[in-house]
Amino acid sequence: MAQRKAQHYWRSWEEGPGASEFVQISRDEFAESLDRPTEQFSRRSFLKAAGFTATVTALAAGCSHAPVEKAIPYLIQPEEIVPGVSYFYATTCGGCSAACGVLAKNRDGRPIKLEGNPEHPLSRGGLCVVGQASLLNLYDSHRLKGPLREGQESTWAEADAHIRAQLETIRASRGAVRVLSGTVSSPTLRAQIQTFLASFRDARHIVYDALSSSAIADAHQATHGERRVPHFRFDKADVIVSFDADFLGTWISPVEFTRDYASGRRLDTLPPRMSHHTQVESRLSLTGAKADQRIRVSPAENAAWIESLAACLAKTAGAALPFALNGEVGPHNSIIEQLARRLWQARGRCLVVCGSQEPRAQILVNLINHLLGNYGTTLDWNAPSQQKAGNDCELEALSEELDRGRVAALFLLHVNPVYELPNGPAFRAALGRVPLVVNFADRWEETSSLSRFLCPDHNPLESWGDAEAVRGVYGLCQPAIRPLGNTRSVLESFAAWSGDTRSAYELVRAHWRENIFPHAGNAGEFDAFWDRAVETGFVSTAVQATNAKPFSFSALENLPKISTPAGLSMVLYPKVAMLDGRFAENPWLQELPDPISKVAWDNYACFSPAAAQRLGVQEGDVVRLETTTEGGATTSTELPAFLQPGQHDQVVAVALGYGRQGTERFANAGPKWLFARSGVGADGRVGKNAAPFVTLRDGYLQYVRGGIRVTSTGRRSALASTQGHHSLTMPKDLPLVGGQHRDIVRETTLPALLAGDFKAAPSPAKINGLWPTDHPYTGHRWAMAIDLTACTGCSGCVVACQAENNIPVVGKDEVLRHREMHWMRIDRYYAGEDEVDVVHQPMLCQQCDNAPCETVCPVIATVHSAEGLNQQIYNRCVGTRYCANNCPYKTRRFNWFNYMREDALQNLALNPDVTVRSRGIMEKCSFCVQRIEAARIEARRSDKLIADGQIQTACQQSCPAQAIVFGDLNDPSSRISKMVQGPRRFAVLEEFNFRPAVNYLAVVRNRDASGKSPSEDRSNG
Amino acid sequence: MNDRLITIVLLVGLAFSLGVFAVQAGSWHLPGNQQGYEPIQPIAFSHRLHAGEMQLGCVYCHSAAEVSRHAGIPPASTCMNCHRYVSAPLGVLRAEDDLAKKENRKPRSIVSPEIQKIYAALGLDDQLARDPQKNLAPIAWTRVYRLPDFVYFNHSAHVNVGVACQQCHGPVETMDRVKHVSDLTMGWCVNCHRTANAAGVATKPVHPSTDCSTCHY
Amino acid sequence: MASQSRPFDIPLVAGRKTPADVTRDICRSLEGKPTLLWWCGFFLALSLLALGLSAVSYEIATGIGTWGVNRTVGWAVGITCFVFWVGIGHAGTLISAILFLLRQRWRTAVNRSAEAMTIFAVMCAGIFPVIHLGRPWMAYWLFPYPNTRGPLWVNFRSPLVWDAFAIGTYFTISLVFWYVGLIPDLATVRDQLRGGFRHKLASLLSLGWTGSFRTWHRYESVYLMLAGLATPLVLSVHTIVSWDFATGVIPGWHATIFPPYFVAGAIFSGVAMVLTLVLVARKTMRLEDYITARHIDVMCKLVLLTSGIVAIAYATEFFTALYSANAYEEFAFLNRAFGPFGWTYAIMVSCNVLVPQLLWFRRVRSNLWVVFAISILINIGMWFERFVIILTSLHRDFLPSSWTSYRPTPIELCMLLGSFGLFFTLFLLFCRLLPVVAMAEVKGVLHVGHEKEPATGTVTPRPGVEEWEIANMGLPGGAA
Repeated sequence: MAQRKAQHYWRSWEEGPGASEFVQISRDEFAESLDRPTEQFSRRSFLKAAGFTATVTALAAGCSHAPVEKAIPYLIQPEEIVPGVSYFYATTCGGCSAACGVLAKNRDGRPIKLEGNPEHPLSRGGLCVVGQASLLNLYDSHRLKGPLREGQESTWAEADAHIRAQLETIRASRGAVRVLSGTVSSPTLRAQIQTFLASFRDARHIVYDALSSSAIADAHQATHGERRVPHFRFDKADVIVSFDADFLGTWISPVEFTRDYASGRRLDTLPPRMSHHTQVESRLSLTGAKADQRIRVSPAENAAWIESLAACLAKTAGAALPFALNGEVGPHNSIIEQLARRLWQARGRCLVVCGSQEPRAQILVNLINHLLGNYGTTLDWNAPSQQKAGNDCELEALSEELDRGRVAALFLLHVNPVYELPNGPAFRAALGRVPLVVNFADRWEETSSLSRFLCPDHNPLESWGDAEAVRGVYGLCQPAIRPLGNTRSVLESFAAWSGDTRSAYELVRAHWRENIFPHAGNAGEFDAFWDRAVETGFVSTAVQATNAKPFSFSALENLPKISTPAGLSMVLYPKVAMLDGRFAENPWLQELPDPISKVAWDNYACFSPAAAQRLGVQEGDVVRLETTTEGGATTSTELPAFLQPGQHDQVVAVALGYGRQGTERFANAGPKWLFARSGVGADGRVGKNAAPFVTLRDGYLQYVRGGIRVTSTGRRSALASTQGHHSLTMPKDLPLVGGQHRDIVRETTLPALLAGDFKAAPSPAKINGLWPTDHPYTGHRWAMAIDLTACTGCSGCVVACQAENNIPVVGKDEVLRHREMHWMRIDRYYAGEDEVDVVHQPMLCQQCDNAPCETVCPVIATVHSAEGLNQQIYNRCVGTRYCANNCPYKTRRFNWFNYMREDALQNLALNPDVTVRSRGIMEKCSFCVQRIEAARIEARRSDKLIADGQIQTACQQSCPAQAIVFGDLNDPSSRISKMVQGPRRFAVLEEFNFRPAVNYLAVVRNRDASGKSPSEDRSNG
Repeated sequence: MNDRLITIVLLVGLAFSLGVFAVQAGSWHLPGNQQGYEPIQPIAFSHRLHAGEMQLGCVYCHSAAEVSRHAGIPPASTCMNCHRYVSAPLGVLRAEDDLAKKENRKPRSIVSPEIQKIYAALGLDDQLARDPQKNLAPIAWTRVYRLPDFVYFNHSAHVNVGVACQQCHGPVETMDRVKHVSDLTMGWCVNCHRTANAAGVATKPVHPSTDCSTCHY
Repeated sequence: MASQSRPFDIPLVAGRKTPADVTRDICRSLEGKPTLLWWCGFFLALSLLALGLSAVSYEIATGIGTWGVNRTVGWAVGITCFVFWVGIGHAGTLISAILFLLRQRWRTAVNRSAEAMTIFAVMCAGIFPVIHLGRPWMAYWLFPYPNTRGPLWVNFRSPLVWDAFAIGTYFTISLVFWYVGLIPDLATVRDQLRGGFRHKLASLLSLGWTGSFRTWHRYESVYLMLAGLATPLVLSVHTIVSWDFATGVIPGWHATIFPPYFVAGAIFSGVAMVLTLVLVARKTMRLEDYITARHIDVMCKLVLLTSGIVAIAYATEFFTALYSANAYEEFAFLNRAFGPFGWTYAIMVSCNVLVPQLLWFRRVRSNLWVVFAISILINIGMWFERFVIILTSLHRDFLPSSWTSYRPTPIELCMLLGSFGLFFTLFLLFCRLLPVVAMAEVKGVLHVGHEKEPATGTVTPRPGVEEWEIANMGLPGGAA
């Protein structure tokens, strides 16, 4: 057999080596032997038969049990934690230096939502876009996990050892130590930095703000002898004049200012109170959109206007000025005089603010406020704002030192100079010459990537800390979650390097015991005081009245010259979401449509329509913006053009904060499919960095740049706009008989309202449908009222809703395809041509009684509840999209894809009380029904009725202007029932008898009864 | 011959599967309906013993049921409230004591294997003190009752109006191993809401809503 | 002269055919090898179908996002195709049922293919509502069935539910009607063919047809009853489809004129499609003697009529809108005609209203190439009519803030082509496997028997449809 095999040439495998049974088979002549078939059978057929049996059995037994799921309880449960129950920590917002009070909603050990702290004396429950979105920063997987040394992962021990060693040598060699930071609102940290620097001979703490208000402080240095930013009190002002200060949007402390501004314009009080607001500005800002009188001036004219207003008032006040002011602004003296008269009549009850960085302008504004006696009333001098402590002069000095290589150690605290300073490249180079560069940034960005040591700070929600917004109001930060990474609080870092091993908690506590408790005035135990602070999230202490120095007119003697940019000038502005770009990696902020332009995911060059026509630029054309410095250096960038009505014709406005390193991550933030397009620009980033156009001129960061040349590149780039330039009147190309006006937003003037001859809409009872109403509403009847006079369009509600309701981010491409998912949107309408009036209208599901969506859904996935809610049942929806077609308000949103989060870690921010919608189903605003249900259950548990105001929708909770009111219409005493009684109430498309549960209160403008804007066209002034 | 063998095997197979069918037919239900599910748990905890014989109230362990959506599974620390002292059935301990008396020695400490699992999970040594060598090993119970993610059932809402636990979970106090008794279909929920609307809960008038958004949002 | 007053004497079948000729002519196409032309057409249709299938599977796997629709325009090409195909179907039923009841004998030559067209068109139509769902696998929720949800039924107020019922019914009835009509011919085929697959198929499907008088009698009564059942469907189905829009509140949808308007449009488009098909079949399968110039002529007149109705509907819509003094309504229609999608409106009007006017001229009607071109244009025009109604009403409705535009993605277009692929694949197979002309009925309208007919006009008994009808309905057979 063996030999036989040996010389046997085989033709195929089974005939050859792997053999045995083939040989057998081939040997047997007759296949029908006894043993082999069984063998063959047992091999093949048995498997078949067994397979069949197994399958059938599986089928029989199968699909009766779901996959086994484990439930793992605590071993030892912390007593304050009950699974499924949310609890709140009062802390302070880390979004910006405004330091608003927030409540961090925690669930099963992690924060899932930030809400404004209603008790906080400044923000009073409001929270802005950035504050709402800052939650996502906590769960950002791009945050550094621990300290880095020379770009290599390191340990704190190692980092500290090296840093301290180097510091020793520097101390010995008397090297210069510099701490460069943004405004540090934490008193503890300020003190900590001082103690740290104290041990060095040549040490300074330099503060600058990328969005600088340095000129204001310096102007007060000049006029009042102390470098302060006073605390502006818009609530006390009856007349407000703002020169290019976007105080409702981005200026110093927008939430607080919006709140104050709104409280100065309350029409439901008796008698109605409404301040008069004049905005003099070059671009259309959020504040300008709200103004009763809006005057377009070029940046060059701005100062001239201030000057002539000052002159005019000086004349009226009979104040002797040491020199002559130029009171001439061409043909517009009438307006100036009108302004002056209005201000003078409201002496001490008015406020003039200026966003300019020109010291001359600011000094003159101080003069104006002084002449009007506003210091001590609408400008709180004793409790100055701590929110903008930047000093650009020192910044300039530092850059010199750096250039000369004089700095031995540089600590960079929450600043990104390489990105946000005009001389970024120079700074980058200079950093290389500093022996010790320590950066506290929490991520790998422009500046931190050049630092020798990266000592990432905690996220504000992870650490103890404090914040002093205005003097005497101290906010406390407490951790809402254990640090996700091996990061360390800056406090601890500085303490460690100055040989102090205390924890952040101990440091803050100690500092409060020594510095804040004594002023708190309430003689009690510190522990009690502290516990109260931890509970409420803030304390306000008495501020000792500093005797304000008299206004020194000498400051006016040699006023700094004003630099008037010639020709087309670029105005660099922050967007409400992006600010200086600090949170450019936050998808919620990137996807938020700008309240004015309604464009998301990009910055762009805004031209007024007239200017665009003059330059031959179409919207979407990529234009090249160029300017040349005195030195002959050319700065340029390429941006898509955007037509912005209401902007001055000599201005091109560009938003800061874009083109950040790290935004590459959004290249495919949206769904992935065959024809998906990238969400970032050609350079792989979202937008372009406009900071190079900022100038640091004689000690001030200037955000206006003259001599801009515009050339077309011939390329086009689509802007992800969620709303075209549709006004309320019909488009021009489709004139109607009489060109009807769409009665979607109703407005009137204050005199007309007071005269009582304004009625926004017939009372709903007047409209009778063919059928009796089919909803009796025996119990509650939920409804909402939105005061369009109060609403500024700040969009805080949009992000609040997004956070509360697990609304996905869809990315630029999907927004371009008109598939954004926001349940709440802010509709923006223009009226007029050049001098546009702007209205903002929050639009969400109107929860109609006669809902067109409900009748057409074939599967009853959207039905009316007994309490007036239009319920959308995700798990029943099959996705015909019929309801969305039939929705007159187009507030329904469809899940076109399965929307994954670009950053999976951010799923931790999902709200467990709201279903995460899968693809193919419809969704929409639910009036935060999860909150209603929670309240109902709580009421039932405590055997009480649901009190009015107990239920707050997410949008309402966040609104700084308190424009949104939610409540029970069946409760005659509820706030909502009272609001809908007023003459300003109307509902959108009421005449169609959809009977929406969302009521709007008409826009009221403080104008003469004719309603025409007193400002005249100054586009070519 | 060959064919006959195949036939036999197939017939056996068929008979077997038919048998399985027959068994299944009794407890047959639509996919997703877990009625009759009775998984084996990591610790043979007997509700019959604790809730039945010992008369422990449900919310003694499932305390979250009164305040939260979830009834919650008690942390091991709750078990230790009693099992710090009770380490084995009384009879066994008595026997050991008697034996010890006879042999006049100190009674050995006896720990029943199931209770030992709790101590192990908490990393306790035989003096029931935390043993730093041992590490904590949370107990992974197998979940019996489970609703889809789009259903927001709230225990507190039901417990506080006086709905008996048994109404949904069946006579747990008679079960050694917990069994999924109700089918948890939407119809089952809604019908209970309807009857409660008419008759109230334990003659106390409550008005449970049958709006979709009571459970779905 | 006399013959003029006796329409039945104008021959419906040219060339003095005998029943035997008919059988031979019709069955010829079933026996021989398919022509090259057929193969080309079939291959083209099949590849289109494949394209469509891949597009649909990608869409179902990925999501509706693969279409160009957006938050404002929720429906576009998908639903357009649905309405278009349903409309196409109607002519078949009209010709086979209504004209049968009206005893329009000329229908005999075309009714078979017309009915086939109906069935295939409804199949195409039925696909779109399903694939355009966000969750197609849940489509069965549109039907009421006992369930464990409380129970939870469908929303009988929603037109979509009624769509499901209507389409279902329509498909079933049409299929049965068509099949019953086929039985005698299948029997003929069975007898003609010698063995082979087709023979087996035919003998299976002809249900042992004997052709005895009793068989005929039963057959006729069933056929008549089915015709009666099918007739109301012609009106009901598209009426229900029109509700999808008429019950909406969107300006441009919310119109009571829709039901008649849609039915007329449906018949219009359907007859146009029949024309297209029979003109092709006639040429490729050498059926000139059966589908004569007269058939074409009559159908052209039908087209002309329905085109008129549609034109009136267009006018009425506009009038109502402008007369309503409702800004939104007015705007919707001005936007429809002069807005960004005005070009679609232009196509619609020119193809559906202007072009058909040519058919007033006999010379045009008799020039088959022109007729063919016109029929194609009408098909295009009617597709755009639905597109206009759906898109231009949606993309700019009440709130200017949510106005958007729309552009179909390649995926959508592939599905559009795919539906045509499916339709023609089925139709070409039908041409190969089944007699395209109803032989039994045609034999009934042959001139056989008329020639030796005395002037008194008593009728010599002939087998065939009309004979029986006349007998039953006590009408003077063939008398004018």
